[in-house]
Amino acid sequence: MANLFFIFFSMILVNNYVLVKFLGICPFLGVSKKLDSAFGMSCAVIFVMVLATAVTWPLETYILDPNGLHYLQTIVFILVIAVLVQFIEIFLHKYMVALYNSLGVYLPLITTNCCVLGVCILNFTNEYSYLEALFCAAGSGFGFMAAMVMFSGVRKRVDAANPPECFKGLPITLVAASITSLSFMGFGGIMNSIFGIAA
Amino acid sequence: MNTIVLAIIIVTIVGLLGAAILVAAAKFMAVYEDPRVGEITAVLAGANCGGCGYAGCADYAKAVVEGKAPCDKCAPGGAACSAAVASIMGVGASTGVPKRAMVACSGSNDKCKQKFDYQGIESCAAAAMVSGGPSACAFGCIGKGDCVAACKFDAIHVVNGVAVVDRQKCTGCSACTVVCPKHIIFMKPLEEKPVVECSNKEKGPIVMKECTAGCIGCMLCQKNCPEGAITVTDFVASIDYDKCTGCGICTEKCPKKVIYFVDGKPKTAPNEAAPAEEKAN
Amino acid sequence: MAENKSKLSIVTNGIIKENPVLRLVLGTCPTLAVTTAVSNALGMGAAFTVVLICSNIVISALRKVIPDKVHLPCYIAIIATFVTLVQMVVQAYSPSLYTALGVYLPLIVVNCIVLGRAEMFACKNTVLDSALDGVGMGIGFTLTLTAMASIREILSAGSWLGITIIPESIDRFTIMGSAPGGFFTFGFLMAMVILYENRTNNKIKRSIGCAGNAEEEA
Repeated sequence: MANLFFIFFSMILVNNYVLVKFLGICPFLGVSKKLDSAFGMSCAVIFVMVLATAVTWPLETYILDPNGLHYLQTIVFILVIAVLVQFIEIFLHKYMVALYNSLGVYLPLITTNCCVLGVCILNFTNEYSYLEALFCAAGSGFGFMAAMVMFSGVRKRVDAANPPECFKGLPITLVAASITSLSFMGFGGIMNSIFGIAA
Repeated sequence: MNTIVLAIIIVTIVGLLGAAILVAAAKFMAVYEDPRVGEITAVLAGANCGGCGYAGCADYAKAVVEGKAPCDKCAPGGAACSAAVASIMGVGASTGVPKRAMVACSGSNDKCKQKFDYQGIESCAAAAMVSGGPSACAFGCIGKGDCVAACKFDAIHVVNGVAVVDRQKCTGCSACTVVCPKHIIFMKPLEEKPVVECSNKEKGPIVMKECTAGCIGCMLCQKNCPEGAITVTDFVASIDYDKCTGCGICTEKCPKKVIYFVDGKPKTAPNEAAPAEEKAN
Repeated sequence: MAENKSKLSIVTNGIIKENPVLRLVLGTCPTLAVTTAVSNALGMGAAFTVVLICSNIVISALRKVIPDKVHLPCYIAIIATFVTLVQMVVQAYSPSLYTALGVYLPLIVVNCIVLGRAEMFACKNTVLDSALDGVGMGIGFTLTLTAMASIREILSAGSWLGITIIPESIDRFTIMGSAPGGFFTFGFLMAMVILYENRTNNKIKRSIGCAGNAEEEA
């Protein structure tokens, strides 16, 4: 049990998907301008990440690996994710209209987003069991949310500032992101001390 | 050979299964969308400015089709757009006088001094929080350009320390009225009627110390208006455009020359402030 | 003669005018992740170029056949195939590069540049033009990555391609090799490009690639 929470929290703080692993930078820089869009996007990402892991993990463990078809991982995973996201969009549009109105516009963006495919592949690089993989996916999603929400606050302040002309817009945002990422480096090793698990 | 066949079979199955799920979902979970929503979205101005009060053009189109919104809320689209929307919905179009934004302040840098030298975030909202702003007049335009940033049509600019609306480019979407922290931008009907270019609610002697272009609340305009359209409340004059006929008597009587015409030719001799306003137009 | 000139211009377009990383702001994830060392950057650039050229050629060849409604999954399937091929080649011939690139090698399949060029260029142009576009974009991507990696490697490890440049006695600026350094170098490089653009009056409006469109919709 402690192992699961260790994985969950380490994904949020220590191995943060955006600020440490550099997955999902495009939406991080693009959608974090306003707080509500940042929050909406990260909710959609958590949702898709967990569902995608739930489907791809058994697929790889029980069908691809035993038959020595590990090389098909990329193709099969991305097809499954594309189908899953499209299905979720249709489902939400019909049955959960309120949720569709708030999250729906971000769903097509998540299909071609590195973070979802990244978490599915990393589950196998780290050799997690099914439950561990689900916790890892949920943790990555919440880490994404933490980074996005924090950064939208940082951006609001940065956008009102007056940097040199050549830094205005994207460059100063990137510098702000580097300082945000620097702050997350302080969490290194914290999970090991809390949960008493060796690195 | 076996593994190659197996690989082909697995990928084919995954692909076909996925396709089958999506086709089934599209069929059974289809949401019927009224085709008029698409038609209306096409005739709207398409700027997604939010001036109609809805979250974008598609949202407004949906509200119109559901009967929740009138046909003439799209200000940038104007009368032509309202007529087009009305014809798609099959009803007669309602028309009203178009409104354009107006900044009720003429306190440019030469007229209104600064209380202090402000150094901080270059935003009106931020500057307003520091003792009401660096301007000597606490009610007037701060001039840091929050309205300029909010305008999607490049219709408002800060000229000589005060925001000025370009009457030609303004579409009346009212995005600037929301953003101004002093709430001095209002929507004025596009008619040949004058406007009071001041929002200062202080007593006359104090106003005169702060700004040379301020309304002192002398009430000469109110006493002379034949329609009773201009009234002074809180030491500042304001015009009721439903009653105003555009006769221009108030512009002649005002001792500080704070009331003048901005839409249309002035019926009285222009004062020194009015040409600056028209030049900015 | 004019035809040849336009072919060359397609290639140079990808390197300078429409540099995918610095002008179009696409493919930011690998840019930040694999530029810790120049060898990684060159390897990633090479793999990426191969995938881009091959997928551009195939998509362009099939552009009249693929129906519009399902074009996205088809493109993804084609790109995924080539990525898997490249993955296997790299794993076989350069295991050190394979471990260094890690998860970013299979992530080329969702790289915005590859999908973006497929949608923007390959589906509308001939096979030869698409291939040349792939070459140009690939070279532009590789050059940008190499530039970033050079800065980061020299500052954080004092070496370039493994060759020690800065003597061991001088302290290394190690943070440039980790996450914050990546963001900072990218921002700094982009600022220099914008400075150059301003000087030569060549400024363009940048929106963040794929996600930028949703920002305008939302």
